[in-house]
Amino acid sequence: MTLDVSASTADLGAPAPRTRAVRVTDWNWLGVTPFFLFAFLFLIGPVLYLVVGAFQNAEGAFTFANIIELGSPNIAASFSLSIRLSLLSALMGAVAGLLLGHAVILGGLPVWVRNAFTTFSGVASNFAGVPLAFAFIATLGRLGLVTVLLRDLFGIDLYASGFNLFSFVGLSIVYLYFQLPLMFLIIAPALDGLKTEWREAAEILGASRRQYWQMVGLPVLTPTILGCFLLLFANAFGTLATVYALMGSGFDVVPIVLFQQIRGNVLYNPNLGYALALGMVVIMGVSNTLYLILRNRAERWQK
Amino acid sequence: MSFLSITNAVKTFGTNTVVKGFDLSVQKGEFVSFLGPSGCGKTTVLRMIAGFERPTSGRITIDGRNVTDLAPNKRRIGMVFQAYALFPNLNVFGNIAFGLKIAGLGKAETAARVKEMLALIGLSHLEERYPYELSGGQQQRVALARALAPKPQVLLLDEPLSALDAKIRVSLREEIRAIQRQLGITTVFVTHDQEEAMSISDRIVVMNGGRADQIGMPSEIYNHPKTRFVASFVGTLNVLKAQVDRRNAQTVTVGGKTVQLGQAVETADAQGNLSLALRPEALSLLPSESRNVTFDGTVRSVSFMGSVIRIRMDVGDEAISFDMFNSPNLAPPLIGQTASAHFASSDIFELSA
Amino acid sequence: MKKTFPVGAVLTALFAASFFIVPLIATFYFSLKMTRGELGFAAYASVFNSAAFLNTIVYSTVASLIAILIGAVIIVPTAYWVRLKVPKLRPVVEFISLLPLIVPPVVLVFGYIRLFGSNSWLPLTSSTFGTDLLLVIGYVVLSMPYMFRAVDNGMAAIDIATLTEAAESLGASRLRTIVTVIFPNVRAAIISGAFLTFSISLGEFVLASLLNRPAFGPYLVQLGQDRAYEPAALAIMSFGFTWGCMVLMQLFATKKPGQRWLPRFAQRTTP
Repeated sequence: MTLDVSASTADLGAPAPRTRAVRVTDWNWLGVTPFFLFAFLFLIGPVLYLVVGAFQNAEGAFTFANIIELGSPNIAASFSLSIRLSLLSALMGAVAGLLLGHAVILGGLPVWVRNAFTTFSGVASNFAGVPLAFAFIATLGRLGLVTVLLRDLFGIDLYASGFNLFSFVGLSIVYLYFQLPLMFLIIAPALDGLKTEWREAAEILGASRRQYWQMVGLPVLTPTILGCFLLLFANAFGTLATVYALMGSGFDVVPIVLFQQIRGNVLYNPNLGYALALGMVVIMGVSNTLYLILRNRAERWQK
Repeated sequence: MSFLSITNAVKTFGTNTVVKGFDLSVQKGEFVSFLGPSGCGKTTVLRMIAGFERPTSGRITIDGRNVTDLAPNKRRIGMVFQAYALFPNLNVFGNIAFGLKIAGLGKAETAARVKEMLALIGLSHLEERYPYELSGGQQQRVALARALAPKPQVLLLDEPLSALDAKIRVSLREEIRAIQRQLGITTVFVTHDQEEAMSISDRIVVMNGGRADQIGMPSEIYNHPKTRFVASFVGTLNVLKAQVDRRNAQTVTVGGKTVQLGQAVETADAQGNLSLALRPEALSLLPSESRNVTFDGTVRSVSFMGSVIRIRMDVGDEAISFDMFNSPNLAPPLIGQTASAHFASSDIFELSA
Repeated sequence: MKKTFPVGAVLTALFAASFFIVPLIATFYFSLKMTRGELGFAAYASVFNSAAFLNTIVYSTVASLIAILIGAVIIVPTAYWVRLKVPKLRPVVEFISLLPLIVPPVVLVFGYIRLFGSNSWLPLTSSTFGTDLLLVIGYVVLSMPYMFRAVDNGMAAIDIATLTEAAESLGASRLRTIVTVIFPNVRAAIISGAFLTFSISLGEFVLASLLNRPAFGPYLVQLGQDRAYEPAALAIMSFGFTWGCMVLMQLFATKKPGQRWLPRFAQRTTP
């Protein structure tokens, strides 16, 4: 139930409304002031400060120098690394999540299987950061359980064949532990939304299973899949603690580079830091916005 | 020669037998309705014809070919669903063209056929629209066009009008029937609305509890219902207690009057009690030569329903209801008044089962 | 249609299940191996006996609880107000509440350090208290999307407009209405949001590390560099803790106002 503020003031007589209207609206705005004050001080303010600072030099004059320096070999390499890692992680998560979702929801398995995965996914999608890194060291590290078992039981020497947990590929496997559940949780309602009548209608019109998926199922799911891919991308891009715990400060993804900048462990140039922060916010903002657009598109179809 | 025939179909889900031995023979070009309440098995039989449910036992043949074990996508059947089931990612053209694309029809022929179908349903101007931009009635017409485009042998409709507004329901059912006649396609129509079934079907299958209680033309089902269920489900019915004369099985006493029936009574119990049925329209406040029986009683309620006035009357300890047209020349009786309702003895009939 | 055994689906589910469970098993197994030659809980004992562990976890717990409190105090009245008085502002408030999802913690804390640093207009980082405050505020901001959504959903479930009118018609002031009528009815939603906040804040690393506070997150990272078996033990405990928080969060999210916490064990007979 909404209370239309303008309506209540419109009922008043001709001369009075202006002053009355202002007073009523003022009082209502007062109620949300603490929130806006808090948000401006501690969320929007700091980010804006960084964004503005990205276009300033040490003296405060306007400059593009920091943005240009983002293109310098080291920084560009960091962005490239971050983007590549996030793309790979998002791709792995999206494909794996879709396959798992299809198997558990549409594959004819009993309902308790789906519930178990849903509950576990709720936990696993939050189990990122330092403990997750520890868990994978204990599993796939040089002395990890799986590494040892593969060597002792199957004669496969993981590390001799080139695998290393502390690498690009290893990191993306660790990321999968929280990306896969996130994809599963988001794709599940979309898979539910695939009405059985569509499949039956396609079938009675002569389509095989593959044709149904190709011509109806996947196209209907595509906005959700793409949106989720972007969400996973943003999620991976912003991850810091997991990387730090696993690789230390040497693996130069953008969050780590910024981290080091703030720590002062490299040549301290705050304005460059601002530019890095701006770059991160832009990338995350764009991917999340696209995600929201795609999600709205998908919802429109599921009427 | 039957085009679609279902022989002794039985369907059991676990311990629940939903269809208990169903037989039907449908002629080519015939429009048959399955009529019955929820849970009577009508949709299950339809889905068995379509191939989405496999009969536990029994056989289904189409045009002489046994399709019982055939996959749905090979049966060349068109189906319209209650919830329209239009593909949301395709526009109207794409939806109608779907079956043709699967069949591998060329671009030109597909376009021609789709245009033909759009003209048939009168929605040529909506070719580019997407399902979410269409009203319920429009969506259902597109669904019909989609089902008919690949020229199927049989058309199945699963309560296609239930989700629509009353006015659209009436106009759309006429349209469906007209299209069906024009194309001459064998059609099975499932509904729980008896008026719908009676107005457009060649024959009706009245289903109850997994079985076909009666199969026949609408007029036959209405005027000569075989079972109490059919009589009460199709149209309204007055059911009266009667007593058969011990000496003459054609004479009964009902509502205090003695009536001569056209044939001997068959369903009387040991004490001679039985039930007789009388359609409301058989009764009239006006006497006439053919209406040779009169019930006298007290008017209990008078409901003004527009062109029709429904009157409920107590006759002895029974209640009967009948309709009269809203005529300026004949004032309806008042509540509490005594009145006489007349009917022909040939109109009252026995209820078997 | 014949029902065939869903081989593909079963294999996929099994593969996914093992991907999830094997690391947990491996970690648990690893955590038991501290004492050479035997399996025991020595790693866990070592953790619990460590002063650093106790200090940091107490610090983080307190910080999280304060963050939950501040978050509730800011968000609940706002959500209430937006629903009742200024529904036109709703999209704006919702958008702001979702902003933290696109601002990575490292960017946020960087902004804090620059905006509230020693040379700034409000030098919070100059004092320990100020820095602690910044940390807590950071947690409030990070948990804002979840807290707002939980409370908003809770308020959507009860018709607060009508409840407010009923309270006011009975003579209650606005403040009294909020405290005695609204808060109790959205309590479950708040607690649900609280558990999620708690689970995010307890092991949080970036803010704590860059603000140089003795919180649990940095302690974990340091331990990971120094020790071998204790980190595994902590990982298991952390997983169990997250699990517990999620379960409780779900429980409170679906709890209706006035619903009993425990099932009725004894039937009371009315006199």
